Amino acid sequence: MKKIREMSYEEKFFNKLIKSDDLKKEKAILGAFFKHPVWWLIKSVKKNPPKFNETSLAQCDFCGPYAKKRGACMRNILRVVLKSKKTKKLEKFVCPNHLSGFCLPLIQGDKIYGYIGLCHLDSEMPEIAPELFVNFMHTLIKDIQKELELSKLYETIRPRAIALSTVHTIHRLISSTLDLDELLPRIARLCMQVTQSNRCSVKLLDEKRNVLKPITTIDIRSKRKLYPKELRVGKGIPGKAVKAEKVLRGHDYISVPLIDENVIGVITIYDKLGGKAFTQFDQEILMTIAEQAVIAIKNAQLYKEQENLAISSIKSLATILDTRGPSTFIPRTAFVKIVMAMGREMGLNPTEVRSLQCAALLHDAGQLFVPDEILSKPSKLTGKEYQLIKEHPAKGAEMFEPTKYLKPVIPIILHHHENYDGSGYPNNLKGAEIPLGSRIMAVVSAFLAMITPKSYRVTKTVEEAKQEIIRNSGTQFDPKVVAEFLKIIEQREIKETIAKERGHEIA
Amino acid sequence: MKLHKLIKIPIYFKIIAFFHENPASIDTPRGVAAWTGENRQDVKKALLKLAELKVLTAHKVSSTTAYSFTRNSKLIAQIDSAIKKERQEGERS
Repeated sequence: MKKIREMSYEEKFFNKLIKSDDLKKEKAILGAFFKHPVWWLIKSVKKNPPKFNETSLAQCDFCGPYAKKRGACMRNILRVVLKSKKTKKLEKFVCPNHLSGFCLPLIQGDKIYGYIGLCHLDSEMPEIAPELFVNFMHTLIKDIQKELELSKLYETIRPRAIALSTVHTIHRLISSTLDLDELLPRIARLCMQVTQSNRCSVKLLDEKRNVLKPITTIDIRSKRKLYPKELRVGKGIPGKAVKAEKVLRGHDYISVPLIDENVIGVITIYDKLGGKAFTQFDQEILMTIAEQAVIAIKNAQLYKEQENLAISSIKSLATILDTRGPSTFIPRTAFVKIVMAMGREMGLNPTEVRSLQCAALLHDAGQLFVPDEILSKPSKLTGKEYQLIKEHPAKGAEMFEPTKYLKPVIPIILHHHENYDGSGYPNNLKGAEIPLGSRIMAVVSAFLAMITPKSYRVTKTVEEAKQEIIRNSGTQFDPKVVAEFLKIIEQREIKETIAKERGHEIA
Repeated sequence: MKLHKLIKIPIYFKIIAFFHENPASIDTPRGVAAWTGENRQDVKKALLKLAELKVLTAHKVSSTTAYSFTRNSKLIAQIDSAIKKERQEGERS
């Protein structure tokens, strides 16, 4: 296919003509009629002698074996070719051996693509034969031209259609996330792929400080994580592109500012594969992606703002809940921190981790419906009192039912008192029936409750609490969650958090 | 199955050749099926296999998975020679 693209139109035309099945059939028909005709096809008569199909001429038993006669034959053919060039019509001739033949210029409009002829016709040529041959060749030429035009159109349109489809796919890929941490590296990788560049950086503008903050920089030649520095607006290629608010393109870079109403950042690609120069096409496709990226980034920023607002409200609510009394209290900061760390380690995606964060903050909100005297009762609860306590997960879930944002959080809240063996409440769920977030919260909540000082019971040491968790693994707690928990609490940062909550330094 | 065996299967050859000729392309199974003229479900399976072999990179999002050609220069050189060999064999036969 690549070879055909590199050919000239005339070469392609000849290629198709020679390989044409219709021409082969015509040759077979004429061959049957004239017994042993010799075919020849030439592209041009500029060269003297023209390049004939030597193999065909060699078949001629008159001129083939004898060089001198062959020269006379060639001159004879050249004469008729020149004549047909002038008249632009089929010309008949008789060769030195008194065998007849004819030559037809391959014409379309004013253009002559070459000449086709046959000689060594040992039967008498009927008057109608040349006319039929002319008609046949004209139809064949038209068909080949149509085929070539379609092929040219296909070759022109196909790469554009592929590029358009790529741009459409990129749009789908970048508009499918609202997480900036996921979005920006994705944009960088896609830019590198479509421009076949080795490096890409996405920087966002810090308007107050007038600097570009490097958010993502990827270089496929480097396996290490890159830590580029901030860049002042006006400095370096990206800084200049942002200051000028226009695309800058050089041999080995293109820098496209991300412009909404104002500039919000810049995408810069470097070093095209194989040291080639970036092209206008690269620039146009990068500009298209940049336009889509701006929308995706703005949406993600807006979503992040709303999310922060929602989390702040939830934190405020959680603070109010913490004031209910000491019996409800487990250290909130440590609880949320350990639960989120476990969620991440156990493969939850960022959205699921955020849901887990909300659930951790609100899991005991249903205790608002439990009287203070029951919550703070130091002695054993009566059956009725315990029943009220057991209702708090369902009450909490019910509270947040109308809040659409908290929809994924509700099952985690509802089932955070279920036990792994099915002995918990409210629905006696077992094993994997219990949401993973709930299983995580059950372990962390029990651990922190045991190590947090309480007036009515002896506080356990971290080691004692760990042993208690291990003892209940497989019954109250999910063994996989317990195993992960035991790893997490060995992390220095988590150890420090626990020690801080317990009011003393870590060992 | 390894690359040199997979490339002998027409659908795999078409997909590999498509991305080899259009290394900047990123497309979904639907798109690749259109460019290669093959059945979408068969293309989907072949794309998964080629991503496993790292011939293609999968870009997975919730609604679809898009695929692009590898950037590994050694692998590209291997693919290049495998395609040439396959084409030569095709011409001979």
